[in-house]
Amino acid sequence: MTEKADVWQGTLALMVLKTLETMGPLHGYGIARRIEQTSGRVLSVNYGTLYPALLKLEQEGCISARWGVSDNKRRAKYYSLTPAGRRQLRREAQAWERTTATIARFFLPSAEVS
Amino acid sequence: MRAVRVFLSRLRGLAGKARKDRELAEELASHLQMQIEDNLRRGMTPEQARREALLKSGGLEWAKEECRDRRGLPLLETVLRDLRHAARILRRSPAFTAVAVLLLALGIGANTAIFTLLDQVMLRVLPVKNPQQLVMIWTTGPHLGGNQGSRASSYPMYQDFQQRAQAFSYVFCRYYTALSISLGNESERVTGELVSGNYFQALGVGPAVGRVFWPEEDDRVYKGHPAVVLSHQYWVSRFGADPGVVGRKIFVNSHPMVIVGVSAAGFSGLDPARSPQVRVPIQMKPLMTPGSDQLGNRRNQWIQIFARLRPGYTMGPAQASLQPLLSEILRAEVEESSVRYVPKPMRDRFLARKVRMEPAANGYSDLRQSYSTPLAVLMAMVGLVLLIACFNVASLLIARAAARQKEVAVRLAMGASRGQLVRQLLVESTVVAVAGGAMGLLLSVVMIRGLLGFLPTKGMLLTLRAEPDWRILAFNLALAFLTALLFGLAPAWQTTRVDLWSTLKDAAGAVAGNRSSVRMRKSLVTAQVAFSFLLLAGAGLFVKTLANLKQTNRGFRDIHNLITFQVDPARNGYSLERLKAFYQQVQEKIRSLPGVTSAGYAWIPVLSGREADWDVVVEGRLFKDGENRQAFVNSLSPGYWQTMGLALLDGRDFDGRDEGSRYRVAIVNRAFAERFFPDQSPIGRHIGFDLGPGALPDIEVVGIVENSLNEGPREGVRRQVFLPFGQSNFPYATSFYVRTAGGSGAMHSALRKKVQELDPAMPVYEMKTLEKQLDETLGTERLTATLSAAFGTLATLLAAVGLYGVMALVVVRRTREIGLRMALGARQGAVLWMVMKEALGLLGAGLALGIPCAYWLSRYVSSQLFGVTPTDVPTAVTASVILAAVAAVAGLLPARRASTIDPMQALRHE
Repeated sequence: MTEKADVWQGTLALMVLKTLETMGPLHGYGIARRIEQTSGRVLSVNYGTLYPALLKLEQEGCISARWGVSDNKRRAKYYSLTPAGRRQLRREAQAWERTTATIARFFLPSAEVS
Repeated sequence: MRAVRVFLSRLRGLAGKARKDRELAEELASHLQMQIEDNLRRGMTPEQARREALLKSGGLEWAKEECRDRRGLPLLETVLRDLRHAARILRRSPAFTAVAVLLLALGIGANTAIFTLLDQVMLRVLPVKNPQQLVMIWTTGPHLGGNQGSRASSYPMYQDFQQRAQAFSYVFCRYYTALSISLGNESERVTGELVSGNYFQALGVGPAVGRVFWPEEDDRVYKGHPAVVLSHQYWVSRFGADPGVVGRKIFVNSHPMVIVGVSAAGFSGLDPARSPQVRVPIQMKPLMTPGSDQLGNRRNQWIQIFARLRPGYTMGPAQASLQPLLSEILRAEVEESSVRYVPKPMRDRFLARKVRMEPAANGYSDLRQSYSTPLAVLMAMVGLVLLIACFNVASLLIARAAARQKEVAVRLAMGASRGQLVRQLLVESTVVAVAGGAMGLLLSVVMIRGLLGFLPTKGMLLTLRAEPDWRILAFNLALAFLTALLFGLAPAWQTTRVDLWSTLKDAAGAVAGNRSSVRMRKSLVTAQVAFSFLLLAGAGLFVKTLANLKQTNRGFRDIHNLITFQVDPARNGYSLERLKAFYQQVQEKIRSLPGVTSAGYAWIPVLSGREADWDVVVEGRLFKDGENRQAFVNSLSPGYWQTMGLALLDGRDFDGRDEGSRYRVAIVNRAFAERFFPDQSPIGRHIGFDLGPGALPDIEVVGIVENSLNEGPREGVRRQVFLPFGQSNFPYATSFYVRTAGGSGAMHSALRKKVQELDPAMPVYEMKTLEKQLDETLGTERLTATLSAAFGTLATLLAAVGLYGVMALVVVRRTREIGLRMALGARQGAVLWMVMKEALGLLGAGLALGIPCAYWLSRYVSSQLFGVTPTDVPTAVTASVILAAVAAVAGLLPARRASTIDPMQALRHE
């Protein structure tokens, strides 16, 4: 439909956690906005992927939710990182770095893997 | 861990569903609103801003649905919804539901009942430490001596194994015997188990209170361990679970002994079906079985040997490692003076005896030996009954499917998938089956109570129970689910295979169902008839077997007027002389009772399965080596033959002259006389018993008596020698026989009173008529015959219902055709025959299937039959005739309805 890439489920959770770590408590719309901005508008986040992902993280105890009031006086649900979520983020970030580093080696022009 | 948290949170998600939905809607709405506001800020028109926002955010409903699925447990919710729906549908047709549940309750209940017995007698593992390491050890081949019970060994043989076998961490032994226990003035007869000192240690069973036996403390001194361990059950029932019994003095067979402890709860011994009340160290044997020691005797086999395999050993190597040890023992035994005289062929066979070993994880039970085949046969039969009931329910479901085609077509048209509908229908079937299973479970408890009545108690506590435990519950539930699949799957498939277009437009057809559903029901009925034939034919064979056994000429007259009871004075401390006098006094006292015509007593109770047999020597007769010279013996009082109603053919009965301490006279039966004295009268001739070297024929035959049964009808007439009890030198327990003029009800207590006038502490046991005794001995056969007859009848009725249902359906479907035929002049009789022909066709197909199956299966029951061959033609004919009659009735009702169809109405029939 668009030239923008959809996010894959697993990485979306990581992005949400990272966003919450950087930004502090944030509502769903804010998270979506932030992810789009950070990705340089390459990624598009819609309800159908975001809210199930938030629910999943909440069920796993990585984030907690609480109703609050937004900047423009609108009632919104704010998500924040729990200690468990912080740990999870650290783990996932490491794993991610390892994976990307590994993959990256395969694409190095002068690979010395032989 | 995380999965658990998610699951719990999802489980919580099931509650407060509406509120969560509202919150989600609000959250999504606020998201949308923020997006719109952002868009407005970027200078879009309100309308544009909204459209962009909606486009960007994706499907609102889809997101909600996605969240909802994630929040709760979707599968569980679907199942709950299906269950609610099923309950609603089933409530709407209470008649169908009731019939289906009832049919399944009967089927599943009967299966659960038989399985409960099968499980407890055959499958259950003993509640002991590492039961899979337990084995039972025995030997085969000639033993050159006495033997008691199955798989018995001599005590010295046990000691050799225990001390020298390498493959086992423990070798232990046991022996059952009746004991007389006295506390204060009361004495009661219980079953005791004499056990080696390491018995409890080997099994890994500890005490509930006090202590159990230990090899160091309880297996050292001959006759020196007056200690008793109570079974937990006996402790609770007899002593009210009083922990103070430990250290208490009791008298066992009039010997002072001390209760040292109670064995752990739940442990009943090595026999899963029966449990002894007390256990006593085996070194006490001479005192526990008065007059019989046997501890040091290698020529008498009486104990059963068990062992625990050393870790790392398996059956095969363990058995192989024991064989050289056995051969060594036998080579030493054969040099003993008592057997040195045996001729070489016998000696060679003796030396070639083999060790046998069998896993004993579920113990050893005589009951299992005699009931395993009958129970397996009954389990198969009752499985067939359930299958027939399933087919009936399936047939009902197919009939309903026809009526529900409209509903199904509408739901398919509305977009339900076929899978969803099949699932929904299967949930309905499962609800019916589980309801039937639950009701069946209740029924099974009642049925098992009835079944237990068939099992012989032999004076021991039966440990079988009717109350279901988790194994039975699991079996019952699994069976319910299996039946649900069995009767639900095909109809569900059938129901959902509708031609949408024609079903929705066609109003009729719905009632009668389509061709394929009729075909399906017809094949179900054919199978039902076939199964019913199997069950009826089987029942016929078993009923005939029982009848043959009961009608076998017993020799004894009017056994319903013959009361028997047993007393065992030796276990109350009586000496041989006092015991003989006591028996005579009891006999005299009983004879004086009004209503008693005669009384006598015998050592071995007749028709009870018990026997004693010895080899005989006969005056002037040389036996060839290996020639059968076995005779079954018994010791009798004067007046015994008169009481049993048997005629002396020649000579005299025993009388007051026949006293002493060794046998000098004998009465033989006709079979004995014909075999060993074929050409002359045995009266005045001499016989003897080959109990050791230099056996002489020094017993004079003084009488010949007519043949009679000994152990029971299956064993038939034996060659028998009867000896006067007055000349016996062993303090045997005896069975009294009392011939009464009429009813025996009040007589029982009168007899008991007479015995207790002589000795109030003397337990009187096993009091019943000889007829009842025969019934108990034929317990297996009665169980099989009664149950198989019940199953056969039930199956036939179920098949009849199935046949009736199908024929009724056929008539409805052919109403128009029949009306047309009648309008064209077909006679009523012709219509009747037309329908009947179809019913009989189904019967014929069923029989054509059932008869070969029965022929093939008959081999598996042949060992259970008596006086009838497994392929007995009259039985098969009778079964066919019964089925034909039932089928005729089931077919006639719809046929009559067909023949009375009014052609005018029928032609208008849609």
